[in-house]
Amino acid sequence: MCESAGCAASAAGNEGHKTSRYGRLFRACSMAVAIALAAALAACSSSSSGSSGSSSSSSSSSSSSVASGSTLTVADVAPFSGVDAALGPTYLVSCDGAVQAINNAGGVLGHKLACTSADTRGDPADAVPAVGSLIANTKGLALVIGCTSDEAAAVVPVLNANKTVMFCMTGQSEFDNVKYDYFYRLVPPDLAESYAMVVIAQQLGYKRIALAFGNDIGSQTFVQPAVASIQKADLTLVANETLDLHATTFRTEAQKIVSAHPDAIMTEALGSADPTLFSEIKQLNGGKVIPIIGTSAAISPAFYQASASAIGAAAFSANFHADNLVTATSGPAYNAFSQALLAVKGKVNGAQTGNFTTYFTAPGAVHLYDGINLAALAMVAAHSTDTAKWKPWIATIGNGVPGAVTVSSFAQGVAELNAGKQIRYVGPGGPTSFDAYHDSPGIFQVDTYSPAGAVQVTGNITAAQLRAVSR
Amino acid sequence: MSLFLASVGFGLITSAVLAIASVGFTLQFAVTDVLNLAFAAVMTAGAFVAYWVNQAGVSVWIGLAAAMAACSVLSVLLNLAVYAPFQRRGSSPITLVIVSLGMALIIEFGIQAVVGGVNVSYSMGQGRTFRAGGLVLTTVQIVIIAISVAVMAAVHVLLRYSRLGKAMRATAANRTLARNCGIRASRVITITWAITGGLCGLAGAVFAIDIGSFGPTSDDLFLILILAAVFLGGPGDAYGAMIGALVIGLGTEVSAAYIQPNYKYVIAFVALLAMLALRPTGLLGARARA
Repeated sequence: MCESAGCAASAAGNEGHKTSRYGRLFRACSMAVAIALAAALAACSSSSSGSSGSSSSSSSSSSSSVASGSTLTVADVAPFSGVDAALGPTYLVSCDGAVQAINNAGGVLGHKLACTSADTRGDPADAVPAVGSLIANTKGLALVIGCTSDEAAAVVPVLNANKTVMFCMTGQSEFDNVKYDYFYRLVPPDLAESYAMVVIAQQLGYKRIALAFGNDIGSQTFVQPAVASIQKADLTLVANETLDLHATTFRTEAQKIVSAHPDAIMTEALGSADPTLFSEIKQLNGGKVIPIIGTSAAISPAFYQASASAIGAAAFSANFHADNLVTATSGPAYNAFSQALLAVKGKVNGAQTGNFTTYFTAPGAVHLYDGINLAALAMVAAHSTDTAKWKPWIATIGNGVPGAVTVSSFAQGVAELNAGKQIRYVGPGGPTSFDAYHDSPGIFQVDTYSPAGAVQVTGNITAAQLRAVSR
Repeated sequence: MSLFLASVGFGLITSAVLAIASVGFTLQFAVTDVLNLAFAAVMTAGAFVAYWVNQAGVSVWIGLAAAMAACSVLSVLLNLAVYAPFQRRGSSPITLVIVSLGMALIIEFGIQAVVGGVNVSYSMGQGRTFRAGGLVLTTVQIVIIAISVAVMAAVHVLLRYSRLGKAMRATAANRTLARNCGIRASRVITITWAITGGLCGLAGAVFAIDIGSFGPTSDDLFLILILAAVFLGGPGDAYGAMIGALVIGLGTEVSAAYIQPNYKYVIAFVALLAMLALRPTGLLGARARA
């Protein structure tokens, strides 16, 4: 194979010449690619939504009053990447919709609102610096929404210390009776959702239950309450599998579940985990799907699309139920909400997936929309953007006082406040009743999907039914 | 027994996908001297290329070819635009590893920026399910295993019986000496990026077919399995990577039947650590054998 030294030297010389000639081209290409990729990176990391007026500007943080006419920022602190990446855009749809409706109604005390986002990647280790950066660099930070179970335990103390009001989507039970002054929650504790799933199993006549929950904090919090509740409800737990959300396949878990012959699988494993599991179970179960009972997190266009494409829309919709908080599906609050969201349809990065109407019942969209309206109305009622002054009004407006006029939108609330009346805000998520820990748990309904991905309400879960299966 | 046989079946299919990826990765490393940690990210890109082709109404099997072509081009560009300039400046191997890690994140985030956080699936059936004892395989899985076997045979023929393969082996063994022997090493390296990029795209697409539902981050952990298989077999050794893939694939899946399945990847880590500690050159010997 060896040729003459002269030939080899000549070849080497040619190579050197080529290297020199193309060097600048390669460097130029490198820079172009680097710039393009950096732009892509910037686009998919923390970003401001562009649909709701001016974006937040960089400067020092402020949780007290801001300069007249300046922009108040609502920050969506949630996963925009990683396995729970569908959550952040869902909340951003709600934020953009609510903020645009508020701005169209004149804004808050002369201030326009804008949404921004901080990507937690669903990991406390990434969430804390993301929130630190948000606080340090966001002028007029008025409100934080999001803070899912993935990161809430890490970021809530930070935001609370910064005196930033937050409406969080975490159901973690540690927030049931620990007081954070600036923490508000319009979703139930996860253990109540576990009980709701067991009630659904009872209603559907399922006796043998398999659990398949992700190994993330947010999903694991359902497991122990579900195990206890299954026992109390006289059902049989036949399998209990933990799914590594970063794993590539779940064949063994699927095989164990199929071998246990469950009537239904209770699950929450977001990202590709649940769709992959469903696909593998179907494959190992002779093409038959085992009925699935999901949590309210499964009510999202992204989850539907991934699951339906994994096992077929007809099979998925015929075999899927989920608990969800009762939300309005008609009436003035629903109309205002759905119009607000439709106004931003197609404009929110990462939220162009699937059936957009799913957002009308997605808990993150509904309850964070309500949270933003409550906060904005509280500022108007307090005649101040100083957090210390408007924060107490959240519970006042949410829970109502005797003689308060019920309002269903920000515009209506402002009109009544300007008329000198007390108001109670009842949005698409229904009436709120904040307790001493600022929790407003709500009540449950049973949701399914149509084969086209539209959410259908097929039943309700009463407080008595929940109590019957509670530990 | 039934679960054991089932897990052997699962191991075979995991090994098949892993073998394609590991052979591509290790050949790339042997010839180019780049431990390309962006390999899994390029796999993901390939999976999405096949998805887009499939969404256009074309069979996913045609999508495989598109994924191979796209990843082949992407890998060549990655080398020309990123790795080669660093190598020309004499950057250390660890610098290149860090650069490749950065590229992995950039590619992954780039994909996420385009497709969003949603997970997708190919429009395809799984075909008939074949059962033998507890062993369960679908037609599609059998096809994936067949593709993997064919790829392994093709790599063997390439390395042993073709001029290009011999040039690749010579470049891997000693680039300077190869040049002095008249081998145009830079061309061989570029062709290697193209070939291994094609294997990367193929691995990404069959991986996505196998797991049923995938997203921009689905390949993250798979890179660990690739590294484990490569280092188990001996870094730079294509035949070692084949054996490593078989051991890691079967090891992780069979162990999952007896331990908590979500800990199954620990087996891969243990194998990797044990091999690095006891036999750093891997099962089949030294670096740069290709």
